[in-house]
Amino acid sequence: MIECTHVYKKYKNGTNALYDINISVEQGEFIYIIGPTGSGKSTLIKLLDGEEVPTKGTAKVVGIDVGSLRASQVPIYRRNIGVVFQDYKLLPTKTVFENITYALEVIRMKKPQVRKRAKEVMGVVGLGEKGNAFPHELSGGQQQRVAIARAIANRPKVLIADEPTGNLDPGKSDEIMDLLERINQRYGTTILMVTHDLTLVNKHRKRTVVLEHGHIVADLAEGGYVRHDQ
Amino acid sequence: MISRPIKEGFRGVGRHWGMALSSAIAVTITLTIISIFLIFSWHLRTFTKSIEYSMKISVLVDEEFESAAEENRIRKEIEKIEGVKDVTFSSKEEEFKYYLEQYDDPAMREAMAPFGEENPMSDAYYVEVYDGDLIANISSEIRNIEGVSKVDYGGQTTVDMVSAMETIRRVGAIFVAALSILAIFLIQNTIKLTISARQDEITIMRNVGATNGFIRAPFVWEGMIIGFLGAIIPIALTFWGYTAIYERTQGVVFSSLFHLEKPMPFAAYVAGILAGVGIIVGYIGSWLSVTKYLRWKR
Repeated sequence: MIECTHVYKKYKNGTNALYDINISVEQGEFIYIIGPTGSGKSTLIKLLDGEEVPTKGTAKVVGIDVGSLRASQVPIYRRNIGVVFQDYKLLPTKTVFENITYALEVIRMKKPQVRKRAKEVMGVVGLGEKGNAFPHELSGGQQQRVAIARAIANRPKVLIADEPTGNLDPGKSDEIMDLLERINQRYGTTILMVTHDLTLVNKHRKRTVVLEHGHIVADLAEGGYVRHDQ
Repeated sequence: MISRPIKEGFRGVGRHWGMALSSAIAVTITLTIISIFLIFSWHLRTFTKSIEYSMKISVLVDEEFESAAEENRIRKEIEKIEGVKDVTFSSKEEEFKYYLEQYDDPAMREAMAPFGEENPMSDAYYVEVYDGDLIANISSEIRNIEGVSKVDYGGQTTVDMVSAMETIRRVGAIFVAALSILAIFLIQNTIKLTISARQDEITIMRNVGATNGFIRAPFVWEGMIIGFLGAIIPIALTFWGYTAIYERTQGVVFSSLFHLEKPMPFAAYVAGILAGVGIIVGYIGSWLSVTKYLRWKR
């Protein structure tokens, strides 16, 4: 579902962000990418969601070579994946319901289906009653739920979550993790989650890829305990 | 799905009404000036045309060429000249009669009448032209025709006046065009401010898979709505103000040559132009502003 083969990324300012990254993620897998600040986690996400192009190598998601896309094709590609950000990235002038329906209108889904799907995903994330609320009226945890609802609304095969619990307290982080696990099981969605929260990683154990200075230093199978020095 | 951008456009205006209002005011001021210029320019045009229409070239025929055949030849040669609309013949007798009619005093007319026996006048042609600008050129072409003794076209002053009015009208048109560009610039800048504040929104829209066209459409509608809102006051002023001027002057200003158009449908046409300019200015302004934020590179 996600296939990175000998991926390198060097920015124009000379920064080498990624070196020879090889990752293969199967359909339905839930995988963590961890590492300290500057390890290349964000760059990897940017390569996978089409914002950046690898300097060398190929990054394929749902069979699409993301690096070969033209800028105008990126939005269309993004309809195949769901992305969740640390800062939620909700449209502030739209209600919860509108934030979700927007992602469905973008893919030209028919209106009755849009309403049905939006209500369904709001139920999945436990915000069935908050449809008319604006993002600023919600807590951080609730906003992240809306972002997740929006990301899964068009049933993507892959969900990329960039530090989805980064702004949340441990209790809320657990709730978000439970939600992501539920989505992974219910829809078979492949989830790639970037985090630096090792407590969370050790509590909800999954396959974990450790990045450091742009290199993969470990690829730990599900069930393993991740030490703080890893 | 076409209703989505329109709905979003209206919402955008409502949610950012402060910015929308300042853009609309910019459009209102510009369109009010444009309206005044349109009305002024239109009337200047009709006035110029009516003067042009009343301008005729008088062509006097040499005594030696007063035979029917010669005069027929001269008429045909005049008619052949490009820009000539109509040629009317006036015999020397008619000319003398006309000459006498110029005297308001009957005693003078009586005193002058005996001169008719040895009629000093010449046979003449009166030539109408399609365009006042051509009158000088046509006159000089007629002057070259064999048998023509004198050509007169009411004086260079009239031609100069017509030409001056044409120039004023052209300058007015340039002024209107410049004002429209200024309005585009103003609306573009105010919408740019709105959009710049909503740049994150645009990024998010792109993140969830929206194409440039999908993102742009509501912003462009917002611009067109602002443009139209900005046109409302100028439209109202045009209807109200023009009708009031027309009623006060009874449709005649300075002289009967300069008459005003009836308020209907004239004011409706101007209103239509103002609404159109407002909407187009809003469209172009918002298109330019939003496009700036839609240029993504990888």
